[in-house]
Amino acid sequence: MTSDRGRKPLTAWAFLAPYAVAVGLLIAVPALLNLGYAFTDHTGLTRDPQFVGLSNVRRMLDDGFLLDSVRASAIHLALAVPLRLLAAVGLGLLLAAPRPGGRWFRVAVYLPTVVPDVALAVLFLWVLNPLYGPLNQLLGLFGHSGFTWLSDPGTARVGVALMLMFPIGEGFLVVLAARRMLDGRLYEAAALEGCGPFGQLRRLTLPLLAPVLLLLAVRDTILTLQVNFVPAYVLTDGRPSNATLYLPVYIFDQAFEFSGFAYGALITSVLMVVTAIVITALLLVVRRWRVLR
Amino acid sequence: MGEHGAIRLESLTRSYGRVVALDDVDLEVRAGEMMTLVGPSGSGKSTILRLIAGLDRPDGGRILVDGQDVSQVPPHRRAVAMVFQDFALYPHLTVLGNLLFGLRVRRVRRDEADRRARSAAERLGIGDLLDRYPDQTSGGQRQRIALARALLREPTVYLLDEPLASLDAPLRFATRADLLALHRDLGTTTVHVTHDQAEAMTLGDRVAVLDRGRIRQVGPPQQVYDEPADMFVAGFLGSPPMNLVPGGAVLGGSRGLILGIRPEDLTLDVDGSIEVTVDVVEALGSESILLTRGADGTRLTVRAGPRCGARPGETVRLRPNPDRVHHFDAETGRRR
Repeated sequence: MTSDRGRKPLTAWAFLAPYAVAVGLLIAVPALLNLGYAFTDHTGLTRDPQFVGLSNVRRMLDDGFLLDSVRASAIHLALAVPLRLLAAVGLGLLLAAPRPGGRWFRVAVYLPTVVPDVALAVLFLWVLNPLYGPLNQLLGLFGHSGFTWLSDPGTARVGVALMLMFPIGEGFLVVLAARRMLDGRLYEAAALEGCGPFGQLRRLTLPLLAPVLLLLAVRDTILTLQVNFVPAYVLTDGRPSNATLYLPVYIFDQAFEFSGFAYGALITSVLMVVTAIVITALLLVVRRWRVLR
Repeated sequence: MGEHGAIRLESLTRSYGRVVALDDVDLEVRAGEMMTLVGPSGSGKSTILRLIAGLDRPDGGRILVDGQDVSQVPPHRRAVAMVFQDFALYPHLTVLGNLLFGLRVRRVRRDEADRRARSAAERLGIGDLLDRYPDQTSGGQRQRIALARALLREPTVYLLDEPLASLDAPLRFATRADLLALHRDLGTTTVHVTHDQAEAMTLGDRVAVLDRGRIRQVGPPQQVYDEPADMFVAGFLGSPPMNLVPGGAVLGGSRGLILGIRPEDLTLDVDGSIEVTVDVVEALGSESILLTRGADGTRLTVRAGPRCGARPGETVRLRPNPDRVHHFDAETGRRR
């Protein structure tokens, strides 16, 4: 028993090693280098970047575009995360119960997740087209004249969020699986006590799924702050009026379009801090609301 | 209370796909009575419970409670409370939360609900567990929580689905007595499902034996035990089960009959009429079970005293109690 116990940590480390090496080489080291570059004059092509102290930070504090970018990201976060979660949870719960044809609905919900980002974005260029796009035609059926989706700051933000409501396959699958694991007898017991479908959702399903929902919310927050690059790049390129100049777009512009690699590195660190703050706030709210027991 | 809660099932039928769970079942449960449904798994006993509760709809037939057809009434309007086999406690709520659940759904005033929940908890001796979560309580405590939750429903009918099945043996014995006491105390009609024939004998004013979706016999436990209506009931109730022997063999009788005798109605007696060889002796402490074999290969199980002295391989003689020999029709299995 004692010799076993002595060997255990070694075995554990041996199994962890390949992953740890990959994380170190591909994530930790680049992240540290990135933080270092943030305080240099590196353009991305410089052979010998020089340390420039806080000059990039000073530039950042005066950067009106960065402020626009942070605002665009924040609004996008507030818009897209709830919409995506609502779609994933709503469809997951709706399609969890066995019903005729349910399999095809589940496939249909997952399918957009398999479509490459760029293809989906190009598709949405058509969907959101003000002249012949199906969305405006749909609005026309209700007597609405439609929007010039991607030319107006407000509707452009909504347009990108709408597109991101489709690739929700993973969250959908997680909710579907979690709902199916809940004990059916709990629902029968609740039904006997007079708890209707809505009450069951409120008093059983959502509280029982709370840990899963929290996980999805945290994951989607991180994801939403990052995966908006492709749609914004293809649909709007950050315009109009910087409404979709999300942080990843701005970082890409700075680092690779304007040869400001060091400045891009600094904003990347800012994005990380912003993400950490949002998630901490989320967890504080959860603890405050006693969502988890 | 005793005047409410009479249940009448009229030609109740329910199939799941090609499986017939209930086949034309008629059953009457008197107000205030404890009726035990017993049968092997798949015999339809739980289906009856779910139909009475309204968790499932019958394909045909009627369910009457106090003379009123409730077949189309939703579960929560039926004034029934159910205790599930695995108790179905809400894992995300404390014990108190579990007890308050139904009261809150029914919009009982908060202080009133709290008072009632606490008094139900006191009644079942779980008053000190109210702040715990279900997974922090033992099996016996969970059963009491489930019972307290049912109590708060103030039903006219209690439905108990294998309420003792997930308890270990000593606890089951104690809880059986508690359940009986509670039922006497409340006097509410109770339908209790079990596959355990010992439970069927001890709990319940009357017992209904089911097999493959049909009711084989209904009556007080002792009567069903003493006068089984057919060979299935004879074989199902009693442990070890009744010996069934073709007519014309060791127990006498004529062809076309099956004769049955319970292990306790065979006595070891040097002057007995049946000579058998002892195969196995199971000494259970309070009694011994002898598995024996006659010259023609007939196997007979005998219940004897604790220190009966018989040894495997020995030849002994058995005397059947002639008043306690049962006659069944070999074709239909019915009692004759």
